[in-house]
Parts: sequence; C-alpha cells; structure tokens
Amino acid sequence: MKGTFSWKWAVLVLSVAAMVGLGCAKKQTVKSEGAPGAGGPGEVSAPAPGPVGEAPAKEAPVAPAPPAPAPAPAPAPPAAAAPGIAVTEERLSQFDDVRFDFDKSEVREDGRKTCQVVADYLRKNPKAKLQIEGHCDERGTAEYNLALGERRAAAVMTYLVSLGASKANLSTVSFGKEKPLDPGHDEGAWAKNRRAHFVLK
Amino acid sequence: MKRSIGAASGAFLLALSLFPSAAFPVLYIDINAPGGKRMPIAVADVAVGSGDPSLSRGIPTILSDDLALTDLFDLIPPTAHLETVTAAHFSGKPLSFPGWKLIGAEAVVIGTVTARGDRLSVEMRLYDATQGTLLVGKRYTGTPTQLRSIVHKFANEIVYTFTGVRGVFGTEIAFSARSGKSKGKELYIVGMDGQDLRKVTDNRSFNLFPRWSPDGQWLAYTSYRTGAPNVYLRNVSTGTEKEVVRFGGSKAPGGFSPDGVWLYAGVSQAGNSDIYRVRVVGGAAEKVAEGWGLEVSPSPSPDGRRIAFVSDRGGSPQIYVKTVGVAGETRISTGTGYATSPSWSPAGDRIAYTARSGGRFVVATVAPDGTGLREVASAADGDCEDPSFSPDGRSLVYTYRKKGYSALKIIASDGRRQRTLVSGLGDAGSPAWSPGR
Repeated sequence: MKGTFSWKWAVLVLSVAAMVGLGCAKKQTVKSEGAPGAGGPGEVSAPAPGPVGEAPAKEAPVAPAPPAPAPAPAPAPPAAAAPGIAVTEERLSQFDDVRFDFDKSEVREDGRKTCQVVADYLRKNPKAKLQIEGHCDERGTAEYNLALGERRAAAVMTYLVSLGASKANLSTVSFGKEKPLDPGHDEGAWAKNRRAHFVLK
Repeated sequence: MKRSIGAASGAFLLALSLFPSAAFPVLYIDINAPGGKRMPIAVADVAVGSGDPSLSRGIPTILSDDLALTDLFDLIPPTAHLETVTAAHFSGKPLSFPGWKLIGAEAVVIGTVTARGDRLSVEMRLYDATQGTLLVGKRYTGTPTQLRSIVHKFANEIVYTFTGVRGVFGTEIAFSARSGKSKGKELYIVGMDGQDLRKVTDNRSFNLFPRWSPDGQWLAYTSYRTGAPNVYLRNVSTGTEKEVVRFGGSKAPGGFSPDGVWLYAGVSQAGNSDIYRVRVVGGAAEKVAEGWGLEVSPSPSPDGRRIAFVSDRGGSPQIYVKTVGVAGETRISTGTGYATSPSWSPAGDRIAYTARSGGRFVVATVAPDGTGLREVASAADGDCEDPSFSPDGRSLVYTYRKKGYSALKIIASDGRRQRTLVSGLGDAGSPAWSPGR
C-alpha cells in the first residue's frame, strides 16, 4: 500500500512536470500565438484582412488583448483570363466522329471507314493541319476519362498515319468527359459521346 | 461517459492514465467507440460588451452548428439554460455550476465579445460543469468578417480537449463545377460547414482536379484556358499562378508529397498515361509508375513513401499501391469491375476509392494491403464517386450524381452519417478536402 502510494506520487510529479513542459494553456499569462505569418493556416481567405489573433485566456482578469497583428499583404491581381478561343464550344467538322466502345480505344470497323475519308483528304491537302479530339461518356472518374480520351485520340492518329497521313500535320487533345456532344444520360447519348472528333486548324 | 483522461500529448496521456482518479477530472470522449455516449454540452449566450447585440446568439449558433456536425455532443437547448452569462463571469465571478448540472450539462461554453470599429475581441471558455474547472480558455482578435473563423478555432479547441484529435472546423473543400449556364467548369471552394461558397477561377474553360498543397496555400489543377489541358499552381489567397508539369499531353495532378516538394501527376504522352512526380520548385520530373495501360490518379501516402494509383493494365481500371523508387506494385482492389480515384487517409491506414457495384459507382475503403474492404457510400438511384478524406480522417467528401443532378456530400468514414455539402451547381465533382487549419 505504501509502495503503491509513493509510486502514484511519482506519477503525479511526472504529470505536473509534463504540464509545465507542455506549456498547458490554463494558468499562463496572455501571449499572442496567431500574429506571425500572414497567409498562415486558419484564416479567412482573400482578400484577407489579417490573421486572427489568438491567445490563451485565464480565469482571473487579464491585461488587454495583444496588439493587432500586421495587416496582410494586398492581394495580387488575378491571373488574366484566356483570350479568344472558346474551348468549351463544339467545333464544327466536315468529318464524322469516330466512335468507341465503353472503356475502349480500339478503332472499330465504322471508324476505319471514317479514317480512310480523313486520310484521303489529308493526302489531297498536304498542308492541312488536323487536330484529333478524344472524348468520353460521363460515366467514371474524370481523370481516368481524360487519359482514356487521350488514348482514343492517339489510336486514331496512329491509324491515320498507317493510312499514309503525315504525323507532322496531326495533333491530339483530350477533353475527357468534359465536352459531351449529347447532354443525355442514356446509352444513346453515351455512344455519341465516346468519340474522336476531327478539327481542321 | 468515460471520465478519466484527456490530454495534449502522448506522454501526458500515458502519465495520467496510470492515475485515473478524481484528482484529474477531465471529461473524455472516445471517438473510436461507435455509437458511444455523447457529451452533453451547453453553449451559453455570449456577453456582448460593445457591438452588435445579435452576436449574443450569433456566436453560440455558429459554435453549436459546428459541434452538431461531429456527432460527439448533445447540445442542451438555450431555452433550458438557467444562468445568463455576463462580463462579470470573465472577471472573477464563478458560474453557477449546480444550475448547469441540473439541466444535464457536463460541459459549459461561455464567451464574451467586444467590437470596436473594425476590431473584434472574443474570449471563449470551456468548463467542466461536473467539477467546475476551466478546461480551456482562449482570446481571439480579428475583424468582424473573421468571426466565423474565430468561432471555428474555438470549436476545434473543444473537440481537441475532449478527444485529443484536432477538429476540422474552418477547413475547406475545393471542387470543380459548371458556372451558371456556362459549358465550362470553374474551381470553387466551400467551407466544410457548407458556408462561404466562392468561385476561385474565372476563365470560362475547363478547370479541373483541384489538389491542395500540404500547407493549404496552393491548389494544383488542370486548366484548358490555353486550349490544352495544362497544370497550374495557384496561390489561394493572392491568385498568383505558375505552370508546372511542362511536358506531355493530357495531365492531371494527383497530390503533393507531404513535404510539399513534389507534385504527383498522371501525364499522357502518345496516348499512354504514366505517373510522374515533378518538383514544385524547379520542375524536374521523374517517372514513378508506368506500364502499357493507363496509369493515372496518384495519391501519396501520408509518410510520402508510397503512392496509390489507377492502372488498367489488367483490362479494367484498378487500384495499385507501390513504394516510390522501388520496382513492383500490388493491386489492392478486387473484382473485374472498375476502381478509380484513390485517396489515402491521413493516418495512412485506409485508402478510399470509387468502385463499381451492381451497375452503380460506390465509395469504398480498403487497407493499403488490400484487406478489409468496406463500402462506405452508395445510393440506390445514383452514383457516389471521387472520395477525399477530411484531415482528421473521420469523414469523406464525395460526389453524388444522378442523371443531370450532382451534389457534394460528406459521410462519416464508417458510413454512418451523411449530409449534403453543396448542391445546385452543375456537374460538381473532384472534391478535395483542405489540410487542417
């Protein structure tokens, strides 16, 4: 019993030491914690009027609050918006779209016929620059669809090159699932949206 | 209610747990006990020294709304309160604790506010009503526009006092959504309480995949504003930007290393997407994972040693884990369906991702070794996708979609409670929860 008691006492001493060591907030004088580091965590965002001052408060009356923190730097002007091209708009094409199966990027039989038409045009117009847009339907994760759209566009480009088109005149861009041709939410719409779209530059 | 310990550090906790007597009368909530008893707490009306009298109820309302989001507290309605808090309670006058105990409160929050011109001074205190002791007291100064931020900070103190885990009030969620009738998508930020929704970008192109830097100051994201999908770093406060990942075609940021040195991204070249990491300062790039398939959506582990990512090398997209710089990868998702958008939990013990189940997309979590699969969020009439963990790991934000409708929802990571964070914006998606504040 006596031994247990003194052991507990030792724990108490240790605890108090831990409290002191940790700077436990309760009974300390007021000191500012939040002032430095404008742009630090936990503040309201731009235009930020400055960080929130924060200090431990104790039970007895205390001295006045710490001085106001330094004002935040003036917000920089926002980055300029893009000029001109509305990338969100469907760009008209004289060629049909090449369509794909769900989660696939192989050029199907119907797509090969379209690619032949495109390749014939490019042979007759050797200076034409063609961009191939890859698109996906709305199902699945946007990031995965971005990469899938790129793979579809690349598959069409590879096929056009195999038909004799010059790679130097071709480029690709993926829009993932962001630019559906048909805004519907059924297989009919999805089938139209899984596509490669040709745009002459 | 387990009434034993509650402390600021492991050492302190250990010392006190050896001595569980009334000498250390600190209330404690075990956040790991599902359905455990909740802490009855009274948030008293605030004494208004000078300033808008509506602050008297306004401050406790913000605080009570915060505490209610945690499912850790039972809030005792103000109509039951017997004592009115005055400035005298902050200059030596004790609270009438028997009166607070009488209405069932085990903890009491009081506060006082003084507004002078553009300066606001708020003092908040949390008492153990059963022992009549002060648990934590804080004084805040700021502008009136920072009132919510101030109250969130004290709400975090309360949660920390009772659980030992920092609360997430004042944290934010970044996401992308259509802006009005525009076909483009802009980035938005909203508070975790659903307040303070604001547009971040405004360039009328597609702005996608926002990812927070570990210090919460920057968002990495993909923008089509030049016509092609490039990755930018944007300072959230100032709006300054710089382009990163200056190679490849389609690119999407996945996440930062915990030290903020590296940005992991999926980058497509010639139709083949691989995982790279790029130095945020300097731009030097390293390939981290590659293969014949599409490798996308890297999510670094909290210790920075591993990444979870998506690969379709097996015929369909699945989640893999690999140690950075070491050959070999382990598939952790099961089935032949569709598994994408992994998000590593802050404690490192779980990975949330989008799975396909019964023709629907659902949110599931799994241990990093692929064991312990749990479905967390699903809907009979729609899809649940793109999970992102809260900084305390207790919640997930995700996208709910049903035909044309979309919303962001927050669910407890055990799947028990769910609420709508944002609705009414078109095609809301890719939510990312900010680091702790």
